[in-house]
Amino acid sequence: MIETVIRKRIEILTDAALVSKVTDAIDRADITGWTVTPVKSGKGREGAWREERVTGTNKVFVLTVASQEKASALAEELAPILTSHSLLLTMWDVEVIRGELF
Amino acid sequence: MDASTLQTFTSPVVLFFVLGLLAAFARSDLAIPEALAKGMSLYLMAAIGLKGGVAVSKSGIDGTVLAALGAGIVASFLMPFIAYAALKGFAKLDRLNAGAVAAHYGSVSVVTFVTAVEILEFQSKPPGGYMVAVMAAMETPAILTGLLLARGMGSKNGQSTGAMLHEVFFNASVVLLLGAFVIGMIGGEDGFSEVSSFFEAGFKGVLCLFLLDMGLIAARRLMDNRSITWRLAVLAIALPLLNGALGTALGAAIGLDVGSSAALGVLCASASYIAVPAAMRLALPEADPGIYLTMSLSITFPFNILINIGLLSTLASALVGAGGTAS
Repeated sequence: MIETVIRKRIEILTDAALVSKVTDAIDRADITGWTVTPVKSGKGREGAWREERVTGTNKVFVLTVASQEKASALAEELAPILTSHSLLLTMWDVEVIRGELF
Repeated sequence: MDASTLQTFTSPVVLFFVLGLLAAFARSDLAIPEALAKGMSLYLMAAIGLKGGVAVSKSGIDGTVLAALGAGIVASFLMPFIAYAALKGFAKLDRLNAGAVAAHYGSVSVVTFVTAVEILEFQSKPPGGYMVAVMAAMETPAILTGLLLARGMGSKNGQSTGAMLHEVFFNASVVLLLGAFVIGMIGGEDGFSEVSSFFEAGFKGVLCLFLLDMGLIAARRLMDNRSITWRLAVLAIALPLLNGALGTALGAAIGLDVGSSAALGVLCASASYIAVPAAMRLALPEADPGIYLTMSLSITFPFNILINIGLLSTLASALVGAGGTAS
């Protein structure tokens, strides 16, 4: 049986224009890596949105995996701008194999 | 309304836009794939930049060109003040959103301009090639005015302003448009003839498909909209009418020909929905994109394409006088 450890997986939904703000925060929290994936459409407090291609209001997911402390540090860093920048941040426990990497 | 105002509606470019609007309103699943839409916008920017540059390499940079550039830049700086006053006074927007929307109305829409050039050429009133450079110059000043209005003097947010300015000066459309313009100027007509089969032959067809996509996007956004009050909708039509008339009059006053005066009017009337929204998301993230994008993209853009370009063309003919009436 392979040994796994528990880490936090963090998922942040953000406007594509604001990605660098989020990834800068991830870097500042000393988290090693992140991944950006596109999303198509959705609906939230501010109504429905969709990938519009030309307008630069597309949204993306920024995904990252980190230890509990680094995840808390990141959440703390982003908490003040969650509402003003319309970000959605969730995190949950995941099992990873090479725990020392995260 | 004379013939040139109505002629707009027989242009395939405009009709494809109408098709996009109708398809979206009918909830059709018609969609242009993302990569194709991006590719088409790159193609259009490169083509229009090249054509403008080649035209300027032929005509040279004279007093008229400099006057048009100066007029465009001044107009872009000043128009947000009109929009801001109307948005705060009439539409009761708060300062932040009024500033963000005002920036959009001072800046320009490339697609509106390209469509206007097509329509004006169709009416035998081709604008000068240098108007492409005027358009590029008008993209930025309004953003600075809008930020100033939204934030007030002094208050700062250093990091995001730096990122925003970078976005403003180096965004894809500005780089490609101005880059292609310079390439066109260097290459001149001989250089252009080598690539013209690609950039000229496909231009109108690609513009048709691109406007089809814009029609779909504009109508879908309008149907999803929750932020637009009737007062904002009124301003989204009144501002392009007013700014367009002022711009056309300005063009006539500084001695531009009919087509170029109309084009300057269209540039003043148009509202950005590509460069400015991206800059506003960075610099004023608290402003509501549901307001500024829906106004500029879903109301002002269709109004300009369907009605205002024709009106401004007619106005320019009346103001500049004899030359270039619709045939």
